[in-house]
Amino acid sequence: MILTFLRIACLRLRNNPLELLLVFVMPVLFFSIFAMIFSQGIAAGTEKPVRLGLLLPEGNVAAAELQSELRQNSSLICTDLGVLPTESEGRERVILEAQNSSRYDLLLLLPTDFSTAEEARFQVRLVTDGQNAMAVAMVRAILEEYYAVQRVEGVVEKLQDAAQAAAEVAAAAERALPAVDDPEGQGSFFRDPVSPRRVFDGSGAPASVESELSPVAAEQPASVLDPPLDPAPGMSADVVDVDTEKLLTAGPEPQISVDNPQAADQQNPRIAMYAAGIAVLFLLFACTGHAATMLEEAESGTLDRILVSEAGLLQIVAGKWLGIFLMGCLQLSVMFVFAETVFRIHLWSHLDGFLVMAGCTSAATASFAMLMATLCRTRSQLQGTATVIILSMSAMGGSMIPRFVMSDRMKELGRWTFNAWALDGFQKVFWFQSPIESLRPEVTVLLGSSLVMSLATLLLSGRWRRGL
Amino acid sequence: MTQEHQPILTLQAVRKSYRGRAALQGISLQLFPGELLGFFGPNGAGKTTMIRCICGLLKPDEGSISLRIPDSFRGSRASRPGLVPQNLAVYPDLTVQQNLEVFGRLEGVRGAALQQRIDEVLDWSALRDRRRSLARTLSGGMQRRLNIACSVLHRPAVLLLDEPTVGVDPQSRERIYAMMQELTAAGTAVLLTTHQLEEVETRCDRIVVMDHGQIVADGRLPQLVASSLGLPHRVELSFQHACTVELRDFEFDEQRLTAVCRLASMQQLPGVLEVLQRLPEPPQAINVRSFGLQDVFLALTGRSLRE
Repeated sequence: MILTFLRIACLRLRNNPLELLLVFVMPVLFFSIFAMIFSQGIAAGTEKPVRLGLLLPEGNVAAAELQSELRQNSSLICTDLGVLPTESEGRERVILEAQNSSRYDLLLLLPTDFSTAEEARFQVRLVTDGQNAMAVAMVRAILEEYYAVQRVEGVVEKLQDAAQAAAEVAAAAERALPAVDDPEGQGSFFRDPVSPRRVFDGSGAPASVESELSPVAAEQPASVLDPPLDPAPGMSADVVDVDTEKLLTAGPEPQISVDNPQAADQQNPRIAMYAAGIAVLFLLFACTGHAATMLEEAESGTLDRILVSEAGLLQIVAGKWLGIFLMGCLQLSVMFVFAETVFRIHLWSHLDGFLVMAGCTSAATASFAMLMATLCRTRSQLQGTATVIILSMSAMGGSMIPRFVMSDRMKELGRWTFNAWALDGFQKVFWFQSPIESLRPEVTVLLGSSLVMSLATLLLSGRWRRGL
Repeated sequence: MTQEHQPILTLQAVRKSYRGRAALQGISLQLFPGELLGFFGPNGAGKTTMIRCICGLLKPDEGSISLRIPDSFRGSRASRPGLVPQNLAVYPDLTVQQNLEVFGRLEGVRGAALQQRIDEVLDWSALRDRRRSLARTLSGGMQRRLNIACSVLHRPAVLLLDEPTVGVDPQSRERIYAMMQELTAAGTAVLLTTHQLEEVETRCDRIVVMDHGQIVADGRLPQLVASSLGLPHRVELSFQHACTVELRDFEFDEQRLTAVCRLASMQQLPGVLEVLQRLPEPPQAINVRSFGLQDVFLALTGRSLRE
């Protein structure tokens, strides 16, 4: 008896290709998608390099050296974005374009007078979109290390200079007074208590000259110390003394500023991204479910009755599409109004961008749902197929996993999904606070795909007349 | 020919194929005002395809379908046939009133005319008391009546019903046929497809039998019986022992245990019984039966199973 039930289950599965697909192909498909995301992205076993966009001043040697150093760092993928414009407006435009491309985790900007010299300030500006906090910390650490190394190298150079100078002075003195015997080390001309000492304090400023009495010299009678001995010809009588500790700790701190211009006036912008991701995912499901009523009506004969009525096929398809479109707009509005009410995503200050993106996203999903309903034979077939496609699109398009953690390859694949374009658009509106004109690519793709799918739906809609 | 005797609907040599498979093979048919036409045939005979062609949902490959609307229907939207699908083709989550409003609007009836028509249809279908009930909460019979009511809001000259009485109780069936009689009395031509042969026998003015995409019989029941089976009544005698006497008009089997004769009229039966009384050994059983649509149907379409 049990075997009979087993046979029934097997036969039903065999006779239902869609169920076979759902049972066996869908898990493999999902595994593949997530494996691709995790193997090339956030959990690859090796650290995902930070993508650093460089905007450097032209003809600056120190900047070139830093660039060279950064390029050698395996944790970074450096891309030259050209010369940083000098005027403020052009600079901000370049920054915005680079951020909107979503190709960089971080932008590094150096001033025209960038220098690593001790007397200059080490000034670096990092611009982030706030999505990848790890990138900021990593690059900041790399820059601080670079600065520290530069400083140490400077100190070593100074020490070497000092040692060389001391050796030369000693040699000159030796040549001048070979018989001086001062076994107790007192009254050495090396210890001129009143001579000025040159101190390198690492401040970056020219070495200060200060006078101080050494404790030993202060105790000596003036006769012992006077008259001071002249140094060898051509040599300074100054004593070269290098305070290495002061050199390493004193001086100007490196100025590494981190800007997040988009999130500057937002309390919690990340919520807007989550709202968009979830909203698009559920929008796809809701639209497909609504389009399924077309199949339901076809199965019951209601569609035949409507087709016989005054309403034409074009009106029916258009009416259904409009209903799904408006429902989509409403669903997105409810989602974002809730997010605004609870999480303060600054919806009202981005209302125009939101309306544009909500309209385009709803149009694309409505067309997708109508096309799916036209292609499928039954409601259950539609639900099964749509579930696979929607979850796949959502996984690749960023509704489930943020796109910034994905590899470039996965990001490119994600470009074939509604989710990616919709999320990029919402990201521009709420995260980058880009002007509405910047939404042109997303609007074009979403409306274009909506148009193509609507035309395909109309071309295939003759099937409704033929019956299921 | 008066206008009442001119056909409302005329199909002339209509052919339709799906991917090389002929569904309709030259159907010619006429439907007259006020006529209730019973249309039946085995599954896959082409009934649905023919109805879809009449409705305009499908375009015939060959032939023509024409509608001639009588003057009594002029000025309305009568040229569009009313279609009553077999399933419950209404919105289950709308009330009776809302369903009527929606389908009335789809048929182009609006405003006060729609309200007036809804009132009429509610009375006609005996659904006035349930006008505010959701369609899914109605009984099966009520749902069937609502299904029909939604198709007549625009006063169609032709109403096409696909098995309107499947799964309803006798009371609801009576009500549905009463509704159809009211329609035909008003001049509407009704084409009814069904497998309920006894209903067709007793209710329909004319019967059309379809098989393999062709009309194999068309007429009233006696005509169909005569054309397909010959004489309409059958007398069968069973004997305990082989009958040795010859009986006029009876045909015996080989063992002479069974004899069959056909009668043109039941009025001939007393004469037959009188002859039988004179036999030395009377028959063990006498079975008298009149041929019905079932016999015609099986004679025309055979006994092999269909799709």
